[in-house]
Amino acid sequence: MGFLWTGTWILVLVVHSSPIQAFPKPEGSQDKLVHNRELSAERPLNEQIAEAESDKIKNIYSPENKPGESNYSFVDNLNLLKAITEKEKIEKERQSVRNSPYDNKLNMEDVDSTKNRRLIDDYDSTKSGLDHKFQDDPDGLHQLDGTPLTAEDIVQKIATRIYEENDRGVFDKIVSKLLNLGLITESQAHTLEDEVAEVLQKLISKEANSYEEKPNKPTSKTESQSGKIPEKVIPMAAIQDGFANGENDETVSNTLTLTNGLERRTKTYSEDNFEELQYFPNFYALLKSIDSEKEAKEKETLITIMKTLIDFVKMMVKYGTISPEEGVSYLENLDETIALQTKNKLEKNVTDNKSKLFSAPSMKSHEETDSTKEEAAKMEKEYGTLKDSTKDDNPRGKTDEPKGKTEAYLEAIRKNIEWLKKHNTRGNKEDYDLSKMKDFINQQTEAYVEKGILDKEEADAIKRIYSSL
Amino acid sequence: MAGRGGRALLALCAALAACGWLLGAEALEPGASAAGMRRRRRLQQEDGISFEYHRYPELREALVSVWLQCTAISRIYTVGRSFEGRELLVIELSDNPGVHEPGEPEFKYIGNMHGNEAVGRELLIFLAQYLCNEYQKGNETIVKLIHNTRIHIMPSLNPDGFEKAASQPGELKDWFVGRSNAQGIDLNRNFPDLDRIVYINEKEGGPNNHLLKNLKKIVDQNAKLAPETKAVIHWIMDIPFVLSANLHGGDLVANYPYDETRSGSAHEYSSCPDDAIFQSLARAYSSFNPSMSDPNRPPCRKNDDDSSFVDGTTNGAAWYSVPGGMQDFNYLSSNCFEITMELSCEKFPPEETLKTYWEDNKNSLISYLEQVHRGVKGFVRDLQGKPIANATISVEGIDHDVTSAKDGDYWRLLVPGNYKLTASAPGYLAITKKVAVPYSPAVGVDFELESFSERKEEEKEELMEWWKMMSETLNF
Repeated sequence: MGFLWTGTWILVLVVHSSPIQAFPKPEGSQDKLVHNRELSAERPLNEQIAEAESDKIKNIYSPENKPGESNYSFVDNLNLLKAITEKEKIEKERQSVRNSPYDNKLNMEDVDSTKNRRLIDDYDSTKSGLDHKFQDDPDGLHQLDGTPLTAEDIVQKIATRIYEENDRGVFDKIVSKLLNLGLITESQAHTLEDEVAEVLQKLISKEANSYEEKPNKPTSKTESQSGKIPEKVIPMAAIQDGFANGENDETVSNTLTLTNGLERRTKTYSEDNFEELQYFPNFYALLKSIDSEKEAKEKETLITIMKTLIDFVKMMVKYGTISPEEGVSYLENLDETIALQTKNKLEKNVTDNKSKLFSAPSMKSHEETDSTKEEAAKMEKEYGTLKDSTKDDNPRGKTDEPKGKTEAYLEAIRKNIEWLKKHNTRGNKEDYDLSKMKDFINQQTEAYVEKGILDKEEADAIKRIYSSL
Repeated sequence: MAGRGGRALLALCAALAACGWLLGAEALEPGASAAGMRRRRRLQQEDGISFEYHRYPELREALVSVWLQCTAISRIYTVGRSFEGRELLVIELSDNPGVHEPGEPEFKYIGNMHGNEAVGRELLIFLAQYLCNEYQKGNETIVKLIHNTRIHIMPSLNPDGFEKAASQPGELKDWFVGRSNAQGIDLNRNFPDLDRIVYINEKEGGPNNHLLKNLKKIVDQNAKLAPETKAVIHWIMDIPFVLSANLHGGDLVANYPYDETRSGSAHEYSSCPDDAIFQSLARAYSSFNPSMSDPNRPPCRKNDDDSSFVDGTTNGAAWYSVPGGMQDFNYLSSNCFEITMELSCEKFPPEETLKTYWEDNKNSLISYLEQVHRGVKGFVRDLQGKPIANATISVEGIDHDVTSAKDGDYWRLLVPGNYKLTASAPGYLAITKKVAVPYSPAVGVDFELESFSERKEEEKEELMEWWKMMSETLNF
């Protein structure tokens, strides 16, 4: 059961992962958005648990106040908003308590370095603004300077939360809960949604001025999201009802929720059919660069290949055949290799021979099943296409000599890596530290260049080979 | 859990994982980039060793490849530059490259001192590759060697000469072209002639080891020394080498000290104090080389005088007198024992023969490496356990002392027998120990030396004790 759960959140992680530049380290990646999303994706489940058990008790008092005011316009319903924020806070507390047994969530725990915890650390520390407000401020109803929150503030808060987490599911959850408890009517929910959407738009357009790339994602998301809110709310409520029937269904419903969410997101992005892949920045950049008509087919192939690969990885992780970390690192590896290929394509005119080095990754694959063969063939074709286009423009000025040398170096490095892997698996370590190796190599090659043992070019070639691993 | 997806998924996952790793790490197979069958691949290749001549760029490339393949156990460094600016490259193989581990003996191979004697240079490149390959294959002998020795390999001490020799057109190379360095200096006659000094000392009394005092003055101010020579001398002084070999060509024999005749005649057997161990060391090389140790082998040239050759070995001076050679310089200025190997009748044989030379010498090279783990070794420390550097270790009956290195460690190569070893240092009381030495491995003998002041203190204390006792007994 736990596997499926982890599998499902990694699905979200994988699909929605924002640019992760570095090789994944156990200490956690630097992107808070990923973690936020991961957490928020899990939230429905936890909140449902929390809700089912405690809200009935906690909110006995608050609903008593509400019904009388439910007839007023939403903007005047300060208490309602207070209740929302309070509930959020309670759920979060509950959530953190709840989840420590699952080893997934811990606040400010940096003693243990399991990947999951670390991710949460980042999440916690980066969600500074609103989180701190909740934590420092017991009832969450005051500004930092102590003045009480107005309704506008609360709408602002929600919108900011949604924006930061990049997940409108935050809103959905709040609203669906309120609806479920009968605290607000559908029309009120719509109004709230409009208000929040408005604020969100403002936020986004403000941010869009400072970033160049961001406008694409949030804008398209919000636009499509607001259009589909009613659809989402109802299934969510339906699922929660279903959940109320028993915890046995929790994982199933969780999966359903998420896959529904995923599908919906995928469909949402269908207008530009490789939006999903924008989380692979290098791949995305590559696709963007292929704009010409005649290469449209190549573009199609590339997209299909990437999507299929991502689906495979998702499936692997979902069924627990590979760990989420492996899935992530595989995909990152992929992305980095793509980056390299792209770079080489650009550099092809400067140094011809070097580009040939990196056609290597595509050539080799030990096929064990037909589907993998197909995949590998696709990959090969993809890289092959890139490589071929490189060749075409190649004036072939250089001799074969430098190529032979780098060939020899490649071979030597390959043997080294092979031996290191074998050598370390016999020991207790599961995986040798590639990043440490890379650092060492960088250091040594620099030293060798200084001493006249290596040419600058050779050193660069070696560093490049290692950085592509 | 995994069964959920069925076997296909499992296989898929494995394939994907393999794919992923391979994507990252797989190198270009030579066949894959068939476009460009280079000249270098034309020749015989075995396990990554290509048996062909390496010019300076290829030499560098070969060493870099070994380093890239075996980063954990290797390091490349340079001891200096040749006259024309080529680096005198050394590749070091050890389990902790760049570091002298206390107690771990240092070994060096130097080749191609005469630029046109090419076989040694190539053999050393092959050796470096071989050691790396075998280490990774788990070859126990090699693994043990690399873990317990610090091996330094300098394929060429005279890269300038080699370029000159190799640039000659055609396969037949001249006997002399490329022999000396770019300045025309024969490097194996260029070292300070310590033999001369030792012979004088023998007659008039004086030390017969570590004869090069005031190193800096003598070496750096001596205008007659070639840059290659200077570089090697500094190298010898910096690292406490224990055993070494100097690879040459033009004949087929293992040659040991002394190289210069005592009387000054053309040739006469001139033994050094360690004649016994040197003979044993020379045999350890020659016996594994089938042609070198072949008793029925005809001399390289019809009129050659090889009467001094015994079992593929010879005393240097008995063969012909060589003053100012690197071999004797090692023995007389440092702790290092060096032997000169002549590896081929032809100085610069055709490339196709290189593989055969490798096959003939492979086992010899390894066997000679293992010789460094013989005799006696250990540490010289004071009573507090602190190492005493530069302590003298002398062997009764052998008029040649060695000294301890910075960590107090010493190594004394000896043939099997019973010996009395004495360790001494200025300000300390000498200690003598009896040792029974087998053929191998080396016997460990440590010394804890008491300094004079400590002894004085002890004696004072003893005196006080005695006085106390006396006064108590006699009641005063």
